[in-house]
Amino acid sequence: MQQNGFTDDHLDMLRELMNIAMGNATASIADLLEAFGKMHIPQIMISDMEGLDSYIQQTIPNDQRNYVTKQLFGGLFSGEFLFVISEESALHLGHHLYDVDKPSDGDILDAVIELTNILSATIISRLTEELNTKVQFFVPSTERVDGNSLISQEDIINYHRIIIISTEMEFQHQNINGQIFILTKDGMIGSLKELIDRKLEELYA
Amino acid sequence: MVTIPYPNVLLDALEIGVMVIDESFEIRYWNQWLEINTAHPASEMIGKNLHDFYPQIDYKVFARKIRTTLRLASPTFYDASLQNRFIEIPRTKITTSLLINMQLQVTISPYIVEEGLVMVSIYDISDLHELKLTLQSQMEKISELNCELHRDKMIIDANLLITKIDEECRIVEATQAFLEFFGYKKESVIGEYLSQVFGDVSVDFDTIQICDAIARQQKWSGEVKAVLANGEEVWFDTVVTPLNDDENGTLSYTVIFHDISDKKRIELLSITDPLTKLFNRHKFNEVFENMIRRRHWDENHTFGLIIADVDHFKRVNDTYGHQSGDKVLIEVAHVFSQTIRTGDILARWGGEEFVCLLPDVDMEKALYVAEKLRLAVEELHFADAGTITSSFGVSIFTPGDTQESMIHRADSSLYRAKENGRNRVECI
Repeated sequence: MQQNGFTDDHLDMLRELMNIAMGNATASIADLLEAFGKMHIPQIMISDMEGLDSYIQQTIPNDQRNYVTKQLFGGLFSGEFLFVISEESALHLGHHLYDVDKPSDGDILDAVIELTNILSATIISRLTEELNTKVQFFVPSTERVDGNSLISQEDIINYHRIIIISTEMEFQHQNINGQIFILTKDGMIGSLKELIDRKLEELYA
Repeated sequence: MVTIPYPNVLLDALEIGVMVIDESFEIRYWNQWLEINTAHPASEMIGKNLHDFYPQIDYKVFARKIRTTLRLASPTFYDASLQNRFIEIPRTKITTSLLINMQLQVTISPYIVEEGLVMVSIYDISDLHELKLTLQSQMEKISELNCELHRDKMIIDANLLITKIDEECRIVEATQAFLEFFGYKKESVIGEYLSQVFGDVSVDFDTIQICDAIARQQKWSGEVKAVLANGEEVWFDTVVTPLNDDENGTLSYTVIFHDISDKKRIELLSITDPLTKLFNRHKFNEVFENMIRRRHWDENHTFGLIIADVDHFKRVNDTYGHQSGDKVLIEVAHVFSQTIRTGDILARWGGEEFVCLLPDVDMEKALYVAEKLRLAVEELHFADAGTITSSFGVSIFTPGDTQESMIHRADSSLYRAKENGRNRVECI
């Protein structure tokens, strides 16, 4: 089966690389934030923006307020890293990282940024390292969003094809859950395919 | 790889603050931007602990961020939307500013990982942040205005009778109040011509005036009559205003209706004879005065006046009672109304006397109309009184005439008709 030039082999490889990256992320969070949790097996699909919107609607409950952090990353594999965490989970995260009963809005925002930093740095860095390419991270930004309208109408019109890599992060002890989306678009799909091809050659040559 | 011989020059030339610091917060490098903006020279800072100068920083968090940066060999960030999370740098902007301290974007990047050194880059994003704050404030105002607008719209929708019509007088929108007042559902009104919704009473006159104004793309105001879904006739004070639709460049019209039916009823009562429902003497005098004043009558264009009197009416009253007398007057008024021409003005003058103004007639035509009236009365039959007759006096306007002079001549003619045996038409 092919999805926009991606064969099952490509998708299997990407899934495998993502599993390694997720493991890396879990270990880093345990080490740096002293929170022990797990990452679910990532879902990987190629879609359009409407498909992404619909996927987000299914994944993120509409009746909760979320902190949505977006961080761009550049290089041969570039795109947008999206971390969505509910207000309640963010409060628990702020409480855990700042060690205060009632963390301020600033504490919570900074805690969310901190977790996103670790997640993006470990997952994307590991993924790009495995693909033998470099990555540049840009300043993340966080906003509070009511419900699950994470994608603007302008984005839906402008973008055509995107790869969605999504997973759920769960730290039961701290009562923290979040959703991770890695989005790359159009030209990057071909670029990623080439990088995976090279990796496959390297492994099976 | 080219080795840059003077990295300090490069770092000093940057329009950002750069410091190199270790895990215990000892400062190893402090660039020119920081020297200038913090008023702390590099010589004072290097080798010292950042905590001594900036104790307000949450060093537990800072340490964690440095550790993350070193462990992951990847940059970490402070949230750029927050204030006072890192060092405070006063803003030197003299002109209007929302910010006392610089809004900083802080990135902690790995420098020499093996030695536990990180580079902290500090960007002044105050202008951008101010724009964001201004935009947020404007958006909040817009949101408040939208709420007010929505509330006002709801009030208008529920209370005011307003329609929007297109250039062909077809209803495009209607308020809920309009729909409820007329007793129609939205789907049976939208797309219909205004005249259809207003019912037959308006077709010949009122809505035509509105549509004429629309054809001329002009504002219009006036009174219109309409029939509701339940058949009730109502009067509106109406204002039509052209409205340019910027989105698609078309012209539409808002029509605002104010129910003046009660006012109209009172107005009607004040000019109507309660028994015969004809105009009363007061209204007749007003119309008569206007007719003499407003039109330029000459020998070829003139108008007539008829005064009619029911013969022996006192006898009817005395013999059969006042109720029979009233029936005679009502029936005579009715038959007169049916006989006169459209545009003639008929009124009860008082008692058993009626008056009628006949625009654009000469003596011959006026006599003809009076004769028709006489014959119409003669043909009436009453259960009590049987048949009755009436006498008529006619006068025609001649230059120099006044209301009094015309009435005087018509009254004299009526007197002559009575003298000559009644049931006659006379003129002097």
